[in-house]
Amino acid sequence: MKFLIKSATIVDPNSSFNGQVKDILIDKGQIVQIDSEIEAKGAELYDATGQFVSPGWMDMHANFGDPGLETKEDINSGCAAAAAGGFTAVAVMPNTNPPLHSKSEIEYLKNRAKGQAVDVFPIGSLSVKREGVDIAELYDMTQSGAVAFSDGNKPVQNAGLMMRSLQYALAFNGLVISYAEDASIAEKAKVNEGVTSTYLGMKGIPNMAEELMVARDIFLAEYTGGKIHFTTVSTAGSVELIRAARKKGLQVTADVAAHHLLLDDSVLMGFDSNYKVKPPLRSQHDIKALKAGLKEGVIDAVVSQHTPHEIEFKDQEFETSAFGISSLETTYAVFNMACEKVLALEEMVDALAISPREILNLEIPVVDLNKKANITIFDPDHKWTLASENIRSKSKNTPFIGKELKGKAFAIFNNGQLKIN
Amino acid sequence: MQQLSNRHLLGIKDLTENDIQLILETADNFKEVINRPIKKVPSLRDVTIANIFFENSTRTKLSFELAQKRLSADIINFAASSSSVSKGETLIDTVNNILAMKVDMIVMRHPYAGAGIFLSKHINAQIINAGDGAHEHPTQALLDAFSIRQKYGDVAGKKVVIVGDILHSRVALSNILCLQKLGAEVMVCGPTTLMPRYIKELGVKVEHNLRKALNWCDVANMLRIQLERFEIKYFPSIREYSMMYGLNKQILDSLDKEITIMHPGPINRGVEITSDVADSKQSIILEQVENGVAVRMAVMYLLASQYPLV
Repeated sequence: MKFLIKSATIVDPNSSFNGQVKDILIDKGQIVQIDSEIEAKGAELYDATGQFVSPGWMDMHANFGDPGLETKEDINSGCAAAAAGGFTAVAVMPNTNPPLHSKSEIEYLKNRAKGQAVDVFPIGSLSVKREGVDIAELYDMTQSGAVAFSDGNKPVQNAGLMMRSLQYALAFNGLVISYAEDASIAEKAKVNEGVTSTYLGMKGIPNMAEELMVARDIFLAEYTGGKIHFTTVSTAGSVELIRAARKKGLQVTADVAAHHLLLDDSVLMGFDSNYKVKPPLRSQHDIKALKAGLKEGVIDAVVSQHTPHEIEFKDQEFETSAFGISSLETTYAVFNMACEKVLALEEMVDALAISPREILNLEIPVVDLNKKANITIFDPDHKWTLASENIRSKSKNTPFIGKELKGKAFAIFNNGQLKIN
Repeated sequence: MQQLSNRHLLGIKDLTENDIQLILETADNFKEVINRPIKKVPSLRDVTIANIFFENSTRTKLSFELAQKRLSADIINFAASSSSVSKGETLIDTVNNILAMKVDMIVMRHPYAGAGIFLSKHINAQIINAGDGAHEHPTQALLDAFSIRQKYGDVAGKKVVIVGDILHSRVALSNILCLQKLGAEVMVCGPTTLMPRYIKELGVKVEHNLRKALNWCDVANMLRIQLERFEIKYFPSIREYSMMYGLNKQILDSLDKEITIMHPGPINRGVEITSDVADSKQSIILEQVENGVAVRMAVMYLLASQYPLV
């Protein structure tokens, strides 16, 4: 089966065609020709006039509910949502039931994801049963296909566990992902500590709850010589700490969730639980620092932090509703709207496609001759409105329904499959 | 006649100064009514009100109930601890079950901030917030403003200090917003661990020394220390709290001026306030209780008569 993509502008710093408007011919999943005005009889045609083609994007922080929580998201719906969002790969957190904490869950997930257009990479649980006590079988999981280790949405409170994990993973170049929050500071608070929390009469999670943990983990990374990646950093102080650590030459990387770049905590004034996320939406000051961090490369990647929940978990009192946004399908638009004035298109592609794979030590797709066709077709200027009935995820917990968004992925091509939105 | 700008009373934040003045003026009339030999008026005849309390309350519930009876409303009471609700039925289902029995208005107390606002987006009945978590307790703030106005003729220009656990207090937030809208100056005073970090952004003064706060103010509103709410300790002991923030006669008499003492009740005698202060001439605590009925009558009357019932 041949596919011909017409008149696409190629955005790929690693391609010899970067910046050029070309036709791309794909045969048996490989890019076989890049040229002006290609003719290919029998090829399926996609007209990409006015659109861009980049290496396929990768989201390195998504939550699916497979196994155990399939009513939130299973592999099929999760991959459909990822494809609709322009992602050809996702790394999924071990927030499942049972958690992805041993070879069998990792292999189950890898098998379930076979044949999908979207590559699914499991992140194994750092601790047994994701309980934050004993170190899980990291090596065995690595052998089965786990690309990194994290306790998912449970920040590791035990410094010793974090230290031993970093040490232990050194032997096989494993990556530990830290979701940084000191639980004794955050307590049971649900929103950012600030003027908004004061008006809401709710206790706040201070920035420091995150920064203490980032600081701790940087110390541990330095001591052990291990590799650590901070996911969904949300505060100006975290950016500063990571900047300093990188200057020192430590192996520290970071990502930010798209919503933390666009929204501040003032959107919570109406107690809308669709904005309830963790880490909480912060201040404009933090947003500015996060964007600067991305621009500088202190923050490497942008992630969805896709967290699907059935309506029953969200449509309740703010205090008891679940954290998270079903976000795979809006991540790019939200990122684009937040950063279009700050980042060049190439820098956005780097944060979406190249950096995540560099961090996870995966092969980086290139839009070039004789390479595997793993691409995303998108337009940063396209305006659209998210409609509930068009959401591919099983869960519709998003504050963006009915809102005008700017920037859209129109199609992906990966594993021999073209998925058009 | 003027109209309230919102069909619910969810918080002071949504009220304009005119709304507040209208409620206070209407409450003047009802205060006169409840001091008549026949205290009952037919204003809310055939209006059915459900008092739904997901959190324990004695006096607020009693005050609302009495206000409803004086207005000739029909009343049903529903008390459920939040735990029994968390066993299954959602808030919306609980309330819709009650509304299905043809109820026009809901008075709700709930342990979580924003519960009334959440409910208002899902049901048709009018809602009066009788306290939601540490967010708002609008009728308490209105009756406090009414009581200050009764004592001094006007709230504008008065200096009011709110003393105690500001962090966990819905009374504090509603009072701050209400008093400011009426032109009063507000100070908060309490232990540093029970003070929201960004409280100054609300335009209040912050003081941690009780004597300094009392010397500044015209009115001191002493909040109840609600130890039962604490899952962790914010101060070492009740004894030490009293040492630092308890108001006794000795401090009161040593001030340069005669200040007015308020308390939203129930009082922990000997903790935030000693008996001789609570029972002194400077205290208007029992007037607050009386005014509470008049103010709640005013709120329910205005909402029910100015907006169509479901």
